[in-house]
Amino acid sequence: MSDTKIAPDGLKVARTLDAKGLSCPMPLLRTKKEIEKIKSGEILEILGTDPGSRNDIPGWCSRAGHEYLGEKEDSGFIRFYVKKK
Amino acid sequence: MSTIGEKVNEIYDSFFKKTWSPMTGGILLALLAIFMFAWQRPWGIVGGIRNWADWLFYAVGIFDEEPPHPLYYSSSVMNLGLLAGAWISAVVAREFAFRVPPVLELWKGLIAGIFMGIGSTLAYGCNVGGFYSALHNLAANGLTMMVGLIAGVIVGLKYLYWEMEHLSPGPAGPTFLGNIPPVFGILGIFGLIAWAYAYGYSDMEDAELMAGYLLIGAGIGFVFHRSRLCMVNGFREPFMTGEAAMGKAVAVSVILGTIGIAIMKYMELRPEDAYVVPAFWWGSLVGGFIFGAAMVVAGGCGSGSLWRVAEGQIKLWVVIISFALTNSLMRYWFEETGFMEKLGQPVYLPDIFGYGGSIFIVIAVMLIWYIVIDWNEESNKFVIEM
Repeated sequence: MSDTKIAPDGLKVARTLDAKGLSCPMPLLRTKKEIEKIKSGEILEILGTDPGSRNDIPGWCSRAGHEYLGEKEDSGFIRFYVKKK
Repeated sequence: MSTIGEKVNEIYDSFFKKTWSPMTGGILLALLAIFMFAWQRPWGIVGGIRNWADWLFYAVGIFDEEPPHPLYYSSSVMNLGLLAGAWISAVVAREFAFRVPPVLELWKGLIAGIFMGIGSTLAYGCNVGGFYSALHNLAANGLTMMVGLIAGVIVGLKYLYWEMEHLSPGPAGPTFLGNIPPVFGILGIFGLIAWAYAYGYSDMEDAELMAGYLLIGAGIGFVFHRSRLCMVNGFREPFMTGEAAMGKAVAVSVILGTIGIAIMKYMELRPEDAYVVPAFWWGSLVGGFIFGAAMVVAGGCGSGSLWRVAEGQIKLWVVIISFALTNSLMRYWFEETGFMEKLGQPVYLPDIFGYGGSIFIVIAVMLIWYIVIDWNEESNKFVIEM
């Protein structure tokens, strides 16, 4: 699989989804629902603790046409960034 | 030019850190399942977790008969190996942590586990013993369970969509012990070898066989975690996102394992009736349906729940505990009442279609599934909208 993509600094986030503690498939399902609430070109931030999201979110972005901007490690969780198509 | 040190790092990263592709996982799982059968018996899950629950009921006086020792019972040792292999993989990749989910997820785990226990009792196994290994062994109940699983997965997914609209998960619990140094994982490999070696000094019956169950089981756990191979994902994603990579990996894994295992039965190296259980057709179909719906809500099937337990996911700890307790009680009750014999007939496909015809049927079913989900990946015809 691909290497971990690190998100650039200073991203302007339109909305944040807290999916910490959720396991597959809930983080991706909630991401799918949450992205409907932002406009094209805006960025959704997802906070998660499931290592599986590292595959699920980029994989879903490439299928759905959104841009996966990468992830950032935080203390005990990961921040994922998705730019809506 | 890279130095030897850089090369070693690169190999270490690709083996221990990066996630393998689902297809790599599927192919390796098939080879290990064949190896397990060549060693002694088919790979299974439920017998082992039921054995653990049987001990609890025996300890509190509900069951009269002492269950087999979990360190000398094949299915239990396979599961312990799977847990160890997945834990080693998780620690070395720095992906192990105890993750406490929101309370709603714990309730879902508890209830889904109960239904997985019911479904696996009716089908004489979970998706491994009742579907994956059953097809390897040319048992007709594997085909009916697959139909049940697919129907159940759709129902489970519809529940999740409903939940998204009506229930909020609430705050997550803490995540802790996530900083175990990877060297502990490497030490775990030596620990496993020592454990397997210790069986050589045991006087218990079949002790030497346990070493193989443990180490092949550990290989299975390691492969599962490294590739995040997940049969729930394989059945669910075609309906949820259209993604087919995992489903195709499972299909290829079934095909490869069937060829390897059927050859051993054909050559009479192993008993023909292995994993051919009296669950065709209704027990496997209804059990598959119940199990399929529940495994989507649980977020893990028999094998997928176990490797996630080893990754520290507390929801799946709840799933495995309620799954095991339910299966143990229900199986006990069904055996007491003679109902285990009323779940269907044992149907061995070669008795009807011969070996060539049976292998062809299993491969054809898997290829059709492969082609359909591959086509669906582009057309999204089966994707259920939220």
